[in-house]
Amino acid sequence: MLDRFAAGDLVAFEALFREYQGPVYGWIMRIVRDRGAAEDLTVETFWRAWNARARFDPTRSFGAWLRRIASNLALNHLKRRGAAGFSLPDGGMNATAPQNPAIEGETRAAIARAFGELPPKLQAAATLALIEEQPYSEIAAGLGISVNGVKSRVFRAVRILRKKLEWIRTD
Amino acid sequence: MDTNRLKQLRADTDLKRDLWPDMRRRLDARTVRVPLLDWALAAAVVAWAVIFPESLLALLYHL
Repeated sequence: MLDRFAAGDLVAFEALFREYQGPVYGWIMRIVRDRGAAEDLTVETFWRAWNARARFDPTRSFGAWLRRIASNLALNHLKRRGAAGFSLPDGGMNATAPQNPAIEGETRAAIARAFGELPPKLQAAATLALIEEQPYSEIAAGLGISVNGVKSRVFRAVRILRKKLEWIRTD
Repeated sequence: MDTNRLKQLRADTDLKRDLWPDMRRRLDARTVRVPLLDWALAAAVVAWAVIFPESLLALLYHL
């Protein structure tokens, strides 16, 4: 399948698209937290993959390759978007997570603002690690940096977040 | 900063619709689009044919 994709087979590309669109969308959504943007960036990711198919090595992981492309696009999106665009699920926290009524209104807005004001690279690492609880190894692979690089970014992000959110009572 | 609070703020990462139609439109749009260089080349050939009409026969001969 990957050989056929690399050779420009559109049928193989469609099969790969259908297999990987969900995971790619999920990864981007975890970073940009905007459904419309995540859909657009998912298509853009595959578009770039298709255009770069001749450079893809079929012996390597297709999913990892897509994730790297997706991460770059998501980071660029964060740079363009600025601080105001960071959103938290509106009352609709993840269905698998218990809803905490304490996180509402001002607190939610403050958290969103604090994350949104982080530099994009720190924001992505912090969101993936602290909110989405992705393993450091996966974050590292997705962002194309070392695990220590991820830890460093999260550490720096937490330091900034603590300063901005220290007024929130932590029970 | 309470990490338990942050955990509950996860995004909904389930894809709600198939994005292949969007991808297909993008692929089709590229298929139809003619690169600027091709237009420039076609214009140059037409201009050449207008200025040197006798060269058309030579061009046709070589095609």
